[in-house]
Amino acid sequence: MREHSEQTILRHVPAGVATLQGPELCYGFVNEAMEAVLGGPAPEGVPIAKHPGFLAADLLDVMQRVYQSGRPFIAKAYCLALPGPDSPNRYYDLTLEPFREASEVISGLLLFAVDVTAQEEARQQAHRLEVETRRLDTRLRVLTETVPQITFTVDAKGHYDYVSPQWYYFTGQPPTAAVDAIWPLLIHPDDRLRVLYQAEAARAAGAGWSYEYRLRRHDGQYRWLLSRALPEQLHTPGEPVFWHGALTEIHDQRELTEALRRGEAELRFLADSIPELIWTASAEGFIDYYNRHTSEYTGLTQEELGPTGWVNLLAPKEQAEAARQWVHSMATGEAFEGVFRMRRHDGQYRWHIIRARQLADGQGLRWFGACTDVDDQHRLREVLQTQYNELARTNHDLDTFVYTASHDLRQPLINLRGLFEELARVASFDDPQASSMLQMVEDALAQLELTIQDLAATVQDQRGLSAPAERLDLRSITDEILLGLRMQFVQAGATLEFDLEGAPTLHYGRANLRSILHNLLSNALKFAHPERPAHIRVRSYLQDGQPVLSVQDNGLGMVVPSPNSPGFRPFTRQHTHVPGAGVGMYLVQRILTSRGGHLEVASTLNEGTTFTVHWTAAQPGE
Amino acid sequence: MQHIAYISRAVRPLTDEDLHELLTQCRRDNKRHHITGVLFYSHGNIAQLFEGESEAIDPLFGRILRDGRHSHVQKLIDKPIAARSFADWSMAFHPLEPEAFEALQGFLLPHHVPAPPSTLTIADAMLIDLVRLAVFGGATPPQAPAPTAGLDQA
Repeated sequence: MREHSEQTILRHVPAGVATLQGPELCYGFVNEAMEAVLGGPAPEGVPIAKHPGFLAADLLDVMQRVYQSGRPFIAKAYCLALPGPDSPNRYYDLTLEPFREASEVISGLLLFAVDVTAQEEARQQAHRLEVETRRLDTRLRVLTETVPQITFTVDAKGHYDYVSPQWYYFTGQPPTAAVDAIWPLLIHPDDRLRVLYQAEAARAAGAGWSYEYRLRRHDGQYRWLLSRALPEQLHTPGEPVFWHGALTEIHDQRELTEALRRGEAELRFLADSIPELIWTASAEGFIDYYNRHTSEYTGLTQEELGPTGWVNLLAPKEQAEAARQWVHSMATGEAFEGVFRMRRHDGQYRWHIIRARQLADGQGLRWFGACTDVDDQHRLREVLQTQYNELARTNHDLDTFVYTASHDLRQPLINLRGLFEELARVASFDDPQASSMLQMVEDALAQLELTIQDLAATVQDQRGLSAPAERLDLRSITDEILLGLRMQFVQAGATLEFDLEGAPTLHYGRANLRSILHNLLSNALKFAHPERPAHIRVRSYLQDGQPVLSVQDNGLGMVVPSPNSPGFRPFTRQHTHVPGAGVGMYLVQRILTSRGGHLEVASTLNEGTTFTVHWTAAQPGE
Repeated sequence: MQHIAYISRAVRPLTDEDLHELLTQCRRDNKRHHITGVLFYSHGNIAQLFEGESEAIDPLFGRILRDGRHSHVQKLIDKPIAARSFADWSMAFHPLEPEAFEALQGFLLPHHVPAPPSTLTIADAMLIDLVRLAVFGGATPPQAPAPTAGLDQA
């Protein structure tokens, strides 16, 4: 009864139990669990080799050896390949235990099978994880050693657990260097205490850190680095905490930022030092900076002025136009420019040129503007303009007066001459000097007439001073003039010589050229030497690329005060015995000067005179 | 009386539904608080000028600052005014389907936005012109000046 109940218990235990009896290892007792391992009921008394179930041949072989040697054996995590495509492998710890009868002779084997599939799968999973971890670890190592940053792991006490090779490359320290001891020594002395304090404070607080400091590079140069680290989040309680971090070289960025900041500060200082209104505006057209002088001038702060308040400072009539123009500039990007009156803090409006241009750089589009106070210039210009207008009017009045006077004087003169001729014809004089007296009166009248004519001509020519320039042929103009001087020409028995090849044409005002040529030629004829026929030589040529005309005669000659500034004044005459008003050369000079040219004269008394006309201004550097 | 103008950026582009909701919500709230003005929206750019009694204006700007639908709020002006310049509150934008909006009160197509009311100072009118330019770009020239608020007739 007791044996029966033991068998019942054994039959139902979760581990497989079986007895194999005799050298043939025939099945004896086989419990349910073992039947499952074997894959079905095991007929009692049948050798195991005949009915191996799922057991492989190698296991049967081992069973034989255990039976013969009497030494027990445990096959750990023995894999049983169950039939069927989807059946998972099962793993068993199989214990082979020889059992002996009373005679101490081995009479069979005890077979225990404990299912360890779960443990085995867990072990295999752990193995796979380990392989994966190793792979990740390798990847992490390659990455940390490839990135340009120095990476590190440091514990709560400040001991460096890991420093990537970049640290050694950067610092030039040998791989054997004691990082903990050397690192602080490489920090710039000015930063060292701060860095050590900040790092320790962060570690004590269990927080991460981010700070910048200078670290000595292998070449002795201190470079700015950014140190950032975070504490390990998933640490096991009780185990030391680590901080993982990276050092990034930010030297160039920092220098650039510093340069930008300095540049900005310098520009701002500059703008604040200039006694002009300087301002900047955003791309949308809102003023975001006014310099110091602006608030001094307006008496308003930047807040009071606001993004568009500058318009309020302009004269009320000009505001709408300025606003329209500003919006237009914002819409088109065209530069803004205008002259406006701007109100000063004391209420006085002063004229300003307001200019603004847009600058597009890496930081986006911005507008830069300046208001230049031109009030003094503006007022001065107004005064000058008034004076100029007055002068021009006076001058015009004077010309008109002279012209009118000469014109008005002509008629009485004609009357006078007529009356005098009539008097000479009808009256008789007893005085023996009468005839010479009459001649003198007649000469004086002729002289007066000429003067009046010349006066009229002067005014007429002056009015033609601003005649438009055109390309003129010198020879044909000269021929026209000689036609008018035909009488004088014949009287003087003059001969003419032309040499115009050097510059046959001239770009000049027609009336002016005629006037100049007329005066020069008629002068040459007028001042011909009484003892010899006049010979006049006209030359036109280029001197230093500029057109020059010379008129040379063999006449009376004259005294020249200074050859470069003959200084002909109206009504000044060199040869009083020759009739003339003395306005001719004055006129020539005025025309030439008004067009940027000048007149030179060279003369020898009783030998002749050469007038040289420089049509245009002498080139600089001559 | 006080008015405030600002520009800002929408956190994400506003859909027609968003714009519709914004329009009706603002119309309702602004009517209750007697707030008038105009809002421009285009391609994520927002600009608004609104006016009213200070007791209503300041809390409204506080709500605007906290509104999660936009960011980068940049206040341009905030100052007392003598009188209103806008008769009501309206909103101008380009919906994908303008037909759905045409009948809505307070909706304007950007090219139908009237020029700033002549009761505004020239500086404030220029500010509105500039924000409109900033929001819609240069393609929408202003219309003839709008009639003034005409509150005495209302």
